[in-house]
Amino acid sequence: MPRILPQVLRNLFRKPFTVKYPYVKVEPPEGYRGRLAINKERCIRCWLCIHTCPARAISVDKETKRPSIWLGRCTFCGECAEVCPTKAITMTKEFEYTTLYEK
Amino acid sequence: MTFVVPVGPQHPMLKEPEFFRFEVKGEEIVGVDIRLGYAHRGIEEALSRRSYKHNVYLCERICGICNVVHSTTYCQTVEQLAGVEPPERAKYIRAILMELERIHSHLLWLGVAAHQIGFNTLFMLAWRDREYVMDLRELISGGRVHSAMNTIGGVRRDVRSEHVPTMLRGLDKLEQSARYYTDLWGSDRTILARCTNVGVLSKDDAIKFCAVGPLARASDVKVDIRKDDPYGAYGALSFNVITEQEGDVWAKGMVRLREILESIKIVRQALKELPSGPVRTPVELKIPPNETVERTEAPRGELIYYIRSNGTDTPERVRVRTPTYGNFASMKSMFAGGTVAEIPIVMWSIDPCFGCNDRITLVDSHTGKARVVSFDELRRWKK
Ligand code: SF4
Ligand code: SF4
Repeated sequence: MPRILPQVLRNLFRKPFTVKYPYVKVEPPEGYRGRLAINKERCIRCWLCIHTCPARAISVDKETKRPSIWLGRCTFCGECAEVCPTKAITMTKEFEYTTLYEK
Repeated sequence: MTFVVPVGPQHPMLKEPEFFRFEVKGEEIVGVDIRLGYAHRGIEEALSRRSYKHNVYLCERICGICNVVHSTTYCQTVEQLAGVEPPERAKYIRAILMELERIHSHLLWLGVAAHQIGFNTLFMLAWRDREYVMDLRELISGGRVHSAMNTIGGVRRDVRSEHVPTMLRGLDKLEQSARYYTDLWGSDRTILARCTNVGVLSKDDAIKFCAVGPLARASDVKVDIRKDDPYGAYGALSFNVITEQEGDVWAKGMVRLREILESIKIVRQALKELPSGPVRTPVELKIPPNETVERTEAPRGELIYYIRSNGTDTPERVRVRTPTYGNFASMKSMFAGGTVAEIPIVMWSIDPCFGCNDRITLVDSHTGKARVVSFDELRRWKK
C-alpha cells in the first residue's frame, strides 16, 4: 500500500480522468461503427444487405418496401454498409440509441 | 471431519456462473470439485448452422475480451481449409489487434486481481490506464470491444498512416503505466503478502495437467504458440517468451505484466514494419470436404479451433477449445492445502473465462458428476 500512496495523492489534486458524460461528450474517432442510417431514396432494393447481415437484423419494411434495421439485433459489424452497391446504408458516429421502445 | 463450502453458481466472487464445491477441514482446503456448464449457449451448434462468413461474427462473440483472437483463429482455420493465404499486411494488422487485445486483457486481469485481494486503488488505476488501449482499439477498428475487423481472407479495414503517430503516443503512455505496475507488483507489501506462496502450481503439475498460457509460463514451462508454432505475422516479429520460476499467484501476475511490455514492443515493431499492399484476398466459400485444426495464443493461453467442411457454404462441425478449459485441470493442485480466504485470488489467477469455456460439458444432476462427452456420444445421448 505505501508504494502506491504518491500516485493516490497526485490523483487527489489533479482533474478527474473521467468526463461528466451527459454534459461533456467525447467525440468518437473517424470510422466509428455507430447507428446505421438508411437513405431510402438511394436504395435500389437489391436485398444484398439482408443476405449479408450475420445477425439477421434487417427486414423489409411493409409500408415503404425498403430495408429496415432492427437495432436490437444489430451487432454493428458494418457488413451491410460495406456490401450496399449504392451506399444507401452508412454508419454514423452516433452512439446514443438507448430508448424505452423497440424502434 | 470435512465441511463443504459451495461457491456458485451465483456468488459475489465469481464474475460468471459456475459451481465450485470446496471441501474444507477447518481453514484448509482439502478438495475441490468443479461443475461446468452453467453458461452453455449452444454456440458450436449455432456455428454449424450458419455460413462461413456469418460465423466470423458469431465466433467473435464466444468471448468478449478475446474477440479478435477468436475471429482470427476461426478465419485462419477457414483460410487453411479453403487454401488461401491472407496478404502480409492483413497478417500484421491482425497481430497488432491481437497484441492490443492481450494488453487490455492483462490490464483487466490486474484490476480484478487487485480487487480480489482488496486493493481497490490499484483496481481503479489499472482500469483507468486500460482506457488508453481501448481508445487505440476504437481508433483502428471502430469499436471499443468488438473489432469486427477480421474476415475470411484478410481484414476489413486498413490501418491508416495518419493513425500511426496517435498509436505510438498511446503506446508510450501504456508503457509508462505498465512499467509502473510491474514495479508495484514486485515491491508492494500488500501484494507480496497476499500473493506469494499462494496457489502454487509446481512445474511438474503444470506439465502433468497440461496447463496453458500465462499459468504454465508462471511455473517455468516455456510454452507460447506464437513462438512454438508461429502463425500469421509472428514468425517475423521478435519478442521474448516471459517465464517466472515460482508458480504462485504473484508469478502469474508478473508474467502477465511483463507480457504487456512485450506486447507493446510487438505492436511498435509491427507498426514500423507494416508491409504495404492489399489487406484482403477474395475467397470462394464453397469448401470441399476436409478438416483442419488451427491454434493460436490467446491472452489466456492456447486456443484451438477445429473445423470440418462438407462441400457447402456452412461448416459441418466447429469445435473450439478455449484456454480456460485447458487450465481447469490444474485448479485442484493449486487449491489443495490453501485456505478459504485464498479462493478468490487463486481462482482469478488462472484468468477464468467461463463464458467462452462452457460449451459441451454435461452435468449429471443425480450423481453431481460433470463429465465431458464427445460429439458422437452426445448424438447417442438418450435422456
Ligand atoms: S451492421 Fe451488421 S448486424 Fe447490423 S444490420 Fe448491418 S450487417 Fe446486420
Ligand atoms: S444493399 Fe443497399 S441498395 Fe440493396 S437493398 Fe440493401 S440498402 Fe437497398
